[in-house]
Amino acid sequence: MAKPKIATDWLGGCAGCHMSLLDIDERIVALLELVELTSSPVTDLKHPPEEGVAVGVLEGAINNTVNLRVARQMRQRCKTLVALGDCAVFGGVPAMRNAFTTKEALERAYITSESTVDGKVPQDPELGRLTKRCCSVGEMVPVDVNLPGCPPSADAIFNTLSALLEGRAANPTGDDLKYD
Amino acid sequence: MAKVSIKLNGQRVEAQAGSTVLQAAKAAGVDIPTLCHHPALKDIGACRMCVVEVTGQREVQPACTFPISEGMEVTTETPKVNALRKFVLEMLFSERNHYCMFCEMSGDCELQSMAYRFGLDHWTYPSTYGPMPVDASRKHFMMDHARCILCRRCIRACEDLVANHTLGLKARGAKTFVCADMDVPFGDSTCVSCGTCLQVCPTGALVDRRSAFGGREKDVALTSTACTFCSVGCEAEVVTRAHRVLRVEGDWEGANSGLLCVAGRFESLEDGRPRVSSPMVRRGANLVPTTWDEALDQVATKLKAAPESVSAYVTANALNETLDSFTELFQEQVGASVSQLEPSTKRLGLPSEQGLGVIDRADAILVAGVDLDSNHRVVGYAIKRAREEGAELRVYCPSLNGCKPFGPKKSVIRDLKAGIELCQGAQQPVVVYGLGLTPDEASQLAVLRGKASFVALAPAANEAHAASMGLASGSTNHARVAYLLLSDQPQDPLTASLAGECEFVVAHAAYEGHVTEKADVVLPAPLWYEREGTFTALGGRLAQVRPALSPPPGILPEPEVLSRLADRL
Repeated sequence: MAKPKIATDWLGGCAGCHMSLLDIDERIVALLELVELTSSPVTDLKHPPEEGVAVGVLEGAINNTVNLRVARQMRQRCKTLVALGDCAVFGGVPAMRNAFTTKEALERAYITSESTVDGKVPQDPELGRLTKRCCSVGEMVPVDVNLPGCPPSADAIFNTLSALLEGRAANPTGDDLKYD
Repeated sequence: MAKVSIKLNGQRVEAQAGSTVLQAAKAAGVDIPTLCHHPALKDIGACRMCVVEVTGQREVQPACTFPISEGMEVTTETPKVNALRKFVLEMLFSERNHYCMFCEMSGDCELQSMAYRFGLDHWTYPSTYGPMPVDASRKHFMMDHARCILCRRCIRACEDLVANHTLGLKARGAKTFVCADMDVPFGDSTCVSCGTCLQVCPTGALVDRRSAFGGREKDVALTSTACTFCSVGCEAEVVTRAHRVLRVEGDWEGANSGLLCVAGRFESLEDGRPRVSSPMVRRGANLVPTTWDEALDQVATKLKAAPESVSAYVTANALNETLDSFTELFQEQVGASVSQLEPSTKRLGLPSEQGLGVIDRADAILVAGVDLDSNHRVVGYAIKRAREEGAELRVYCPSLNGCKPFGPKKSVIRDLKAGIELCQGAQQPVVVYGLGLTPDEASQLAVLRGKASFVALAPAANEAHAASMGLASGSTNHARVAYLLLSDQPQDPLTASLAGECEFVVAHAAYEGHVTEKADVVLPAPLWYEREGTFTALGGRLAQVRPALSPPPGILPEPEVLSRLADRL
């Protein structure tokens, strides 16, 4: 039987959850013997294969139109979708911008921040446009497993993935459930 | 008191009649989750985390407000109530910014700990809150409304404990906010910055500016001690980490029931004066650091040379051990005249034996010659509380600010007789007095001896002990050598003038100031949170002072310095 496939991707986040995923140390070898990692931001292949994967993992919040496209594609191509980290589960740090208008947030980031000289808001058509609100993945596409944490510990990620592969309940409990 | 028998999770338990389901459960060792409940506050059932199933009731009931009755059957953990509790948490989390990763309270937050307990791994509802105000108009702590869960603990603390009534709610539904007075910035309100609300806040909505992000409960050390800034002697816990004081918290079990005032909680950590860090002796125009031995040898030589011309002054804020060693050394060994720096209420000739407890039981209170708005504030809170419980209040202090902000207008009297008459007609009258009284007014009050309880509020924290040592205030003329033990007290020009005419001045002080700059020998003293000992607080209660930090190297406890000096004489 072919190994179950896993794909990961990131949205509006800081890559910290992927660092935590790599932080599972040598257990990643054991994990890769059980599964095939088809695509991720840290591998050559970036997009989940069209034929689909068993588990899709998304880090980060939905902050712009590209994030939304990536999230929808992942949802279509995976059987079980894991929202990884506080941004994906709740909105997290990027959702702080919801306390301001999109215009204010962009101006603050690109023009008025203290370290910026002659800044301007990027207008390139290839860039996604900010969504009106920054929101959790679950607000836009159905999520099967939520693993909060900033970032979730390597143990929590390992436990969740192993539970999914073994067909057990994968909801984080005990020390695996952390918000910070 | 009568007992009532109820069935709690199938077990028969006996509980006090009139108690709530929550109290009965607590007494029986059954844990019911709560958020808006706080042991020091009256329960109002605001958060609905404590809902339980009660047989015969149409719906679930909040345990914190539901009274028990004979034969009642209560179930505290059922799938239904647990689902409802989780629902409450989801609503709370989605309503405002409850992202833990950048919150000051994360790790110590009661909302967070409830969410962990109920395994909340996400919430269903979108967080649609808009911009949330942050009120940073108060000097010592600020309010981030986005973290507020509207549990109303702060409001109840302001109402029930401090009786200040600054806080309230405005608007309805999702737009409800905690506000001050008629919705003015907290800093412009009637808030007295006692910080009780800060201490009861279960989330990161109220943030101590000084200790924010300084360490979680698991990282910090707590030292039980007593506040030494006035004679109330509030029991407090000093929170420290890595040799730094983070904050001061009231001790709920203490004689002051957890209350502190702005002076003890915040200002006590904000003394900006430069510290005396080592013994110093004068060489020409300059004070130069030296060893304890050299400094003490110089002092001893001067003391021995002309004992009859030595004047020794000590602050009556010093601890008992310091006052004892000081009087023993200077009165008995040196034979000098010893006085205390602060004026004493003893000169009014009124009794002074009572503490805070009598105020809670009083039916009439006369405040005379003391400004409770700027001193002994915790006594003021107790009086305001008692007034709300029905005690009659009269405030007489024409020589001070009239105590206008303290009592309602009609309680302010212009003639002391009105206050005396009130006390004469009352069952348990209390007279709270201070140095704002003239001797003539004090003698008028003397008619209440035996009838009223007298609470003396002296300017110095440890006046009671200083008085028992026979110390009085006053200066001695013709002294040529002066030893001033100032501790961390302000060195006002009046104190400096005591040293003015002397040939040789020793300043034993924690901070630099008018006295140390003129002194010939300066000896460093520990700060309030570095001292160990006892002092005699209001009502004769012996307050324990424990060191939260050890003094910096080179600074010795006051009694030890005095004993080293005694060895040289």
